[in-house]
Amino acid sequence: MRALGRWLAEHWIAVGSPIVLLVVWERASATGLLREAFFPRPSTIVAHLRQLAADGTLWRHTAATLARIGWAFALAAVLGVGIGLAMGLWRRLREGLDPVFAVIYPIPSVLFLPLVSFLVPPGEIALVVTTAVTSFFLIAFTTTHGVRQIDRLVVEAAVHYGARGWRLFATVLLPGALPFIFTGLRLGLGFALIVVVAVEIVSASRGLGALLWLSWQILKVEDMYATFFVIALLGAVLSYGLAALRARLLPWVQDVAGRP
Amino acid sequence: MPTRAPKVLVSEVSVTFESHGRSVLALDRISLQANAGEFLCIVGPSGSGKSTLLRVLAGLLRQSAGAVRIEADRPGTPLTAMVFQEHALLPWRTVRDNVTFGLENRGVPRAERDARAREMLAMVGLTRFARHYPHQLSGGMKQRVGIARALANDPEVLLMDEPLAALDAQTRTIMQEELLRIWATLGKTVVYVTHSLEEALLLGDRIVLLTSRPGRVSHVYPVDLGRPRGLEVRGSPAYGALLEKIWSQLRDEVLRAMAEDRGA
Amino acid sequence: MSLAVPAALLALWELCSRLAIISPRYFPPPTTVGWVLVDRVAAGDLGAQSLITLTRLAFAFALAALPGVILGLLMGVARPVRDAVEPYIAFIFPVPKIALLPFLLIILGVGEPAFVLTGATSAFFQIVISTLGGVQTMDPRLLEVGRNYGAHGPRLFWKVILPAALPAIFTGLRLGLGLALVALVAVEFIAAKSGLGHLVYRHWQMLSTPEMYAAFAIVGALGLVLTRGLQALQARVLTWQEDIGRV
Repeated sequence: MRALGRWLAEHWIAVGSPIVLLVVWERASATGLLREAFFPRPSTIVAHLRQLAADGTLWRHTAATLARIGWAFALAAVLGVGIGLAMGLWRRLREGLDPVFAVIYPIPSVLFLPLVSFLVPPGEIALVVTTAVTSFFLIAFTTTHGVRQIDRLVVEAAVHYGARGWRLFATVLLPGALPFIFTGLRLGLGFALIVVVAVEIVSASRGLGALLWLSWQILKVEDMYATFFVIALLGAVLSYGLAALRARLLPWVQDVAGRP
Repeated sequence: MPTRAPKVLVSEVSVTFESHGRSVLALDRISLQANAGEFLCIVGPSGSGKSTLLRVLAGLLRQSAGAVRIEADRPGTPLTAMVFQEHALLPWRTVRDNVTFGLENRGVPRAERDARAREMLAMVGLTRFARHYPHQLSGGMKQRVGIARALANDPEVLLMDEPLAALDAQTRTIMQEELLRIWATLGKTVVYVTHSLEEALLLGDRIVLLTSRPGRVSHVYPVDLGRPRGLEVRGSPAYGALLEKIWSQLRDEVLRAMAEDRGA
Repeated sequence: MSLAVPAALLALWELCSRLAIISPRYFPPPTTVGWVLVDRVAAGDLGAQSLITLTRLAFAFALAALPGVILGLLMGVARPVRDAVEPYIAFIFPVPKIALLPFLLIILGVGEPAFVLTGATSAFFQIVISTLGGVQTMDPRLLEVGRNYGAHGPRLFWKVILPAALPAIFTGLRLGLGLALVALVAVEFIAAKSGLGHLVYRHWQMLSTPEMYAAFAIVGALGLVLTRGLQALQARVLTWQEDIGRV
């Protein structure tokens, strides 16, 4: 309790600012200072959020989005780490794939939807694969970097003390790259959310992106805000949740700047 | 007293590096030897190839010419174990797991590994920190872990590459005392690279002086300051005389190396 | 950058397409795409659409850059500002900026302002965060040196803090530009009736695949030129910075 009190005292501006904003917004909307059609009252939004949760709509769409993210992330992670490690270890491979990656990476993932739809059966699979694309490149890229940034001296010492081949990989190269792999996975997960929302807007009937777009099309503004809030919540959990996990999983890594 | 059998024999070793399309001669026909149980110090200006020589002895670097021979009295134990300048510990392993790293790689069973780790950590005074991670330790402590790791492997020859160079002066002095104590207990053959003449005189039985690049053996000086040795030897007239004599030689080499840096 | 592997892949694609190993309808040979590309550029409309996208990008970046840098710097030097703003940044940063599009469409109507603003927000948050990071992670000893040698307040800011944060600011601007492009093309794909993103969408719907791939290629080229070009520029301008780092 004490600790909470102390934390509040230090961060009162950070906590107070959003609260003040919400209160001001509520008042401004109610009195007509803000057009309620564009900026409905927070209280109304909460009511709609409750409603969506109660009748199951929210859960149905959230589950669809989560499922896609899950599959896409799994795909991107396995392929990304695998290929990233390979690229980190074998210079030829890296030099060969680098230009290909460099060209493909900056392209917005959504644009891959047409391509993917030509290659795989339309529907869920296409959405999942498209979502996986940018995450894959991100994860592969950070993994490669993770391998290459390992202190040469540490590798030399390890070789000197008898680590070769598989042992060198398992006891030195992999753990050494792990902090970066982790960061890549975290970013990749965040990106998966970004892309999945975009592809859902384009061509899905279920999912938070689809819900958002649908609400827009029928002009149910309160539902739009409610959905947005859920998306933001999801984003926060995915981005910051993993960051918190890092302290547990990688106890030897110290943080440089503090921000996720 | 060290016996007269050469434990380490370096014959006409040369090392050439390829750098930016040019060949650089780092070591030029080095010949030296270390006797069993001897503490041999190698001193030279920057760029004299001291670390390169050590890496050749460790098997980390291939010499371009010449031969290195280390007498293996106990088959099954590694020929060398090196203590690196920047400790080079694995950051993701605890102190204890860093110490047992070499043993793990040689397939030594867990019980024996743990026993050796306990013994070595006790010897360097870090028993309490067995479960800590390197980033939680000070520079001096990390270096002690490096020493424990090398000793845990029970090598024929202990190689040390300026192990105390990255430490502050006070920690350094304490560590020098520690090294003297550990070496007196274990009696290993040590090849110790340093750029500090004072340190070499304090620790060594003999000093090999290298020239500036390309490194050649300039002189070899026996250090007759008695054993067991303590820090107080630094006040003795014999120490002062030796320091004076060797430094006048070393000084020329250092100045030569500096002139090279200036773009001669 | 070696072109051998991409060239080999394209050759493989050409072969497979011509031999109908893969469907030439969905995967037209690169040479066909190439001809269409040249053709469309010569006809002017591919160029026109590219220009539209680039114009949107320019506006989006202009809207985001200065406010972003200023806010980032303010947050870096003034603790109360940082405390007040940080919760919003932390809340919005992980949100797909494309999710802002419907709101902007309602408030600003379906048109350029909504598109540009969506792109701008993508860049904005990145720029703020990078700038803030630049100020926060600067070597504190530089501040001590500054003060010790007589630089205080505004002078300390202009002569020490700002230059020290400059590499991070530059990186933030570079990343922000990239993000803005991605967001804009995505917006064009979804909601616009012009621009490269829309071209890809339209040709996808009409299954005129060579045109689709041509537009695709332009987007890729644009992204590449921007990222690599800016990296090179950064290396030139900030000659004292050691390692740019990629992405």
